[in-house]
Formats: sequence, C-alpha cells, structure tokens
Amino acid sequence: MTSRLMFRVLGALVAFALLARIPVGFDVGFKFDAALAVIWAFGLLSLVLLTGYVGQISLCQATFAGVGAYTAGMMVSSADVDYLVAVIAGVVVAFALGVIVGLPALRLRGITLAIVTLGIALVFDRYIFQDHAFEWFTGGTGGWRVGQATMFGLRMDSSTHLMAAYLVLLALFCLVALLLVNLHESGAGRRFRAIRDSELAAATMGVNLTRYKLLAFGMSAAIAGMGGSFYPLVAGSVSPQPFWLFTSLQFAAIAVLMGVRYVPAAALGGAFMAFVPDVLTRYGHGTFMGHAYEISYDWFQIAVGVLLIVQLIALPDGVWGDLRSRVRHARSAAGAVGGRRVKVA
Amino acid sequence: MAAFAAYTIIGLSLGGIFSLAALGIVLIYRTTGVLNFAHGAMGMFSTFIAWQVFYGWSHPFWPGWLSTFLAVLAALIFAAGMGLFLEFAVFRWVRSREPVVKAVITIGVLLALQSAASLIWKNNQYHLPIYLAPQQWVWVVPVADVPIGANSIAIIVVALALAFGLGAFLRYTSFGRAMRAVSDSPTSASLWGVPVGKVGAVSWMLGSLVAALAAILITPFINFDTTSLTLLIIDALAAALIGGLVSLPLTVLGGFILGLLETYPTIWIQSIGFPRLVALVVILAVLIVRNPRGFSVAAK
Repeated sequence: MTSRLMFRVLGALVAFALLARIPVGFDVGFKFDAALAVIWAFGLLSLVLLTGYVGQISLCQATFAGVGAYTAGMMVSSADVDYLVAVIAGVVVAFALGVIVGLPALRLRGITLAIVTLGIALVFDRYIFQDHAFEWFTGGTGGWRVGQATMFGLRMDSSTHLMAAYLVLLALFCLVALLLVNLHESGAGRRFRAIRDSELAAATMGVNLTRYKLLAFGMSAAIAGMGGSFYPLVAGSVSPQPFWLFTSLQFAAIAVLMGVRYVPAAALGGAFMAFVPDVLTRYGHGTFMGHAYEISYDWFQIAVGVLLIVQLIALPDGVWGDLRSRVRHARSAAGAVGGRRVKVA
Repeated sequence: MAAFAAYTIIGLSLGGIFSLAALGIVLIYRTTGVLNFAHGAMGMFSTFIAWQVFYGWSHPFWPGWLSTFLAVLAALIFAAGMGLFLEFAVFRWVRSREPVVKAVITIGVLLALQSAASLIWKNNQYHLPIYLAPQQWVWVVPVADVPIGANSIAIIVVALALAFGLGAFLRYTSFGRAMRAVSDSPTSASLWGVPVGKVGAVSWMLGSLVAALAAILITPFINFDTTSLTLLIIDALAAALIGGLVSLPLTVLGGFILGLLETYPTIWIQSIGFPRLVALVVILAVLIVRNPRGFSVAAK
C-alpha cells in the first residue's frame, strides 16, 4: 500500500467518522435530510465519473436513481427480500439501463448527447414512472411502500431506524468515493480521461472506445442507482416526483456548480441539495420589518439556476475546483508545496 | 375516417406549434451557437405574462379581442425584453466558450425561469388557456364532416407565415444576410464589418418572440402549467434536429411530421407520456441515421 493510498483511506475513514456523528443530535427531519444528502451525493458522484472523468454529458442521472429506487422497492414490497438483495438488484438494473443509454452515446457527443439523455429522462418521468402500462414496475399511483425492512438481519426503516440506514449509506458512499479517487490514476481511469480529451486520439492509442464508453455509462448509472435504491428505505415509499426531469437537471447543474471533476464536490453538492431546501422551508418564513415573507422551495431552484450561470461565467472549474486551486496557490506561495526554493548564493 | 381526419387537424396544429418553437431554437443556434434548452421555459414565462394580463388585469367590460390583443402584446414585449436581457447579461460573456458550456448555461436559465414562474403562478394549479380566436368559431368541412376550430387554423397559418417570413427576412434583407454570414463564420463575418454582437442580440430577441408565440398558441392543447410548457423543449428539439439545426424549411416540415406522429398513436393509446416516447424515437432516429458530425459544422 503506497503512502498516497493510505492517506486516502485514512481520509475516507475520518470523513466517515465525522459525518456519521453529525445527524445524531438532530430531529428526525434532519436525519432524513442527512440520508437524502448521501443519496443525492451518489447521483452527483455518478456525474463526476461520467462527465468529470470521461467527458460524457448526461441529463438523465435521476432516471438511473429512480430505476434503482423502483427496482429495490418492488423487490422488497412484493418479494420481501433482505434489503441488501434489493440494493444489489437496483444497482444491476441501473447498470443495465446505463449500458443501454450508452449505446447512442457511442455515436454522439456534446450537445446531441445532452438532447438524447434529456429525452430519455422525460420519457421515464412522464411515461414509464407514471403510466398504467408500467404498474408492475412502479406499484401504481401510490408507489411501493416499504414499512419494515432488514439488512444484514438488522432492522432498518424510515420511521425508527433511520440512523442505521444513514450509516450504511455513508459507509458505501465513502467506499465508492475512495474507489473513484483511485480510479483516476488507474489504467482504466487513464483510458477514461483519454476519451475525455480526444476520442480520436484515444482510439488511435488503442483504447477500445465501445467498451470503455459503455463501461462508463454502466458504472455511472450503477452509482446513481446505488443511491437511488436506498430511497425507499429512507423515505418509506417510492414516487415519481423525486426522480423527475428537474432532479436530473438539478444534478447536472449542481455537479457543474460544485466542480464536476472532483469527488469531494459531490458530497458537498449532495448536502447542498438536501439541506438547503429544507432549511429554507423550515426557517424561511416570518416577518421582516413588518412584512410577512415566506421562502419556498422554488427559491432554491432559482438560486441553483442563477448560481450555475454566474459560476460558468466566472469560475469554470466549479466551487470546489476554485477553492482547491486557491488553497494550492496560497500554499505554494507560502513555499509549503511545490515551490522550489532556489538558493541564492 | 372522421376520427382520423379530426386527429389529423389536431396533429397539424400541434405540428405548427412544434415548428414555431423549433424555428426559434434553430435561429438562436445558427447565429450564436447556443443550443437553447431554456426555449420552452422562456415561452412559458411569456405565456404566463399573457395569462396574467388576460385573466388577471383586463377589465371585464373590455371586448374579448382587446383583452387578447393586449395580452399577446404584453407577452411579446416581455419576450423581446427577456431575449435581449439574456443576450446582454449572460450569453455575450460566454461567446467564445464551447457549445456544451453554453448549453449547460441555458439549463441554469431553464431552472431559474421554471421555478420563478412556479413561485409566482403556482405550479399545480389549473390555468385557463388563452384562445387567439374565439372557441365558438368552428367550421365543419362538408365532405369529411370534420370540425375545424378557428384556433387550429390560426396556429397553422401563423406557423407557416412566420416560417416563410423568417426565411424571407434571412434571404432578402441586408440584416438577414448579416445573420446568415454570422451563422456561417462569425470570425470572417466580423472581418467584413458585420456587427456580430447586434446580430446575436436580434436573434435572441426574435427567438424569444417566436418561443412566446408558440407557447401561447399551444395552451388550448395541453393542460397548461409551468412544467408542461417548459417540457415543450423536447418536441421542439426533435423538430429542430429533423432540420439538422440549420434548415428552416426542413425544421417546419419536421415540426408538422412530429405533430402527426405524436397525435395518431393517441387514437389507440390513452397516455400523456407516450408522445414523449415518440419524440425520443424521432430524435434517436435522426441522430443515428444522419452523421452527427454534420452538426458540428453548424456548431461554433
């Protein structure tokens, strides 16, 4: 184990230990937000792989999460399996869908790929998740209800054992994030980045474009689906609303806003996406200088849109990327890293 | 047979709206290189301005045509202002960036406009549609016994007139020639003294106007709220892709074909989501059959 890998494992463990303790003292609403934050962070992490590493655009990541959620919900509600099996099934189905979505991506790139994935997100949102023809998959208008579920033989459900679900989610997230950070310099990661920089050059160097693009889409969908498959456990039921088109668009917007090339930005974005709307609706009403005001969820989405525009004009590398380069710059200016000290006689 | 003819009328009206919306997308894309995902949202916001004037602010004693006229006028003025604002506040600053970055910026515009409208006019509320011509004006075609509403005719006529009008504007006026020059190559156009910035501003204004018109016209056909009009974008993009994001006549044709393709299945399949699947299949078919590299020629 190289020292770099050890450092990263240590970082993941410390992050897990810190984040695991944070929601303990809060009420059930914030505990739910914490679990939701990890679910959304999985969705953003899937974009770090797909867009940040491989350079492919996708506007249907919430669809992958939704397919994972519905698969897991269906498994638990109708077959009453252990939740671990349901999660595995959700990830497998999301992976398969990701590979299918990746097929048109073999011929498309850039905006045309964005159009196609937008269409896919819309078809799943308006048709598959809502139409009567797919009730066997979506559980009808009420969706699947997950009252009691067990994982590794432990009880986990939304009402009383939310923290257990949160811990499992968080541990999985830290693991996947660690794997993604390590993927960056691995052989597959180098091939991915070669595809991002130039598909033509990558193909010339012997990278199998078909295999690696499909793999990227499948892996990305599997990551989003892994988060999504925990949604029924955390929320107690599945409905189309959390996985509709606008969540997909928010994923894309927040991933770019936070810095689509950086793994920690996904965690930051997940927390942003789960906590800010809830805090706004909880505390965002009252009176100010005699005028009653109320801040609703819509303000969050307005803020995301406006921040995205400002960020793309001013900070192209995202919030995390900008912070990172500022810290690097300050440190090298202080002579701590990289700043070669030249001896002057 | 009568049902088939009636669905044809609906399909053609929808197609007219799709081609209108797509015209705006093609116009903006050709001259500024921005693929505008917020096109539906921009039309939606202007439509709500019209709705506000028509149902909120007009006086009950005014004649109906005056309210309609004022509503559409207000929406169009607002749309022109919004197009200019977006060009000057946002897209002027990213002119040299890759097309993908510009497209992602329009997603930001989409999110902001959609939630702002939902904040003002409430998302899940039923809104009465805006009729350009009175609903009672219906003609029955004698042979096929098909009723044709004046609204359907208005939509088809407006769509065709705008398509030909835009085409003529681009072809025969000097400003239209400037726009075509910019769409071929902004750099060489600016070397020849074409005001590239002005051309961009005018395209945004025109595109926004056309989007507003399309969105107002579609309100009688769909359950109209902030999201459904925003999602008009996918049909408009499908029609625009049929025209290769370049050709105006092909775009209009594509819009009408898409409208018919989306309407005929509803004879047998009662589903609000199925037409979206048709649009996706059309998009995939166009993109896979045509060489997608062809589109990068138009991309700047």
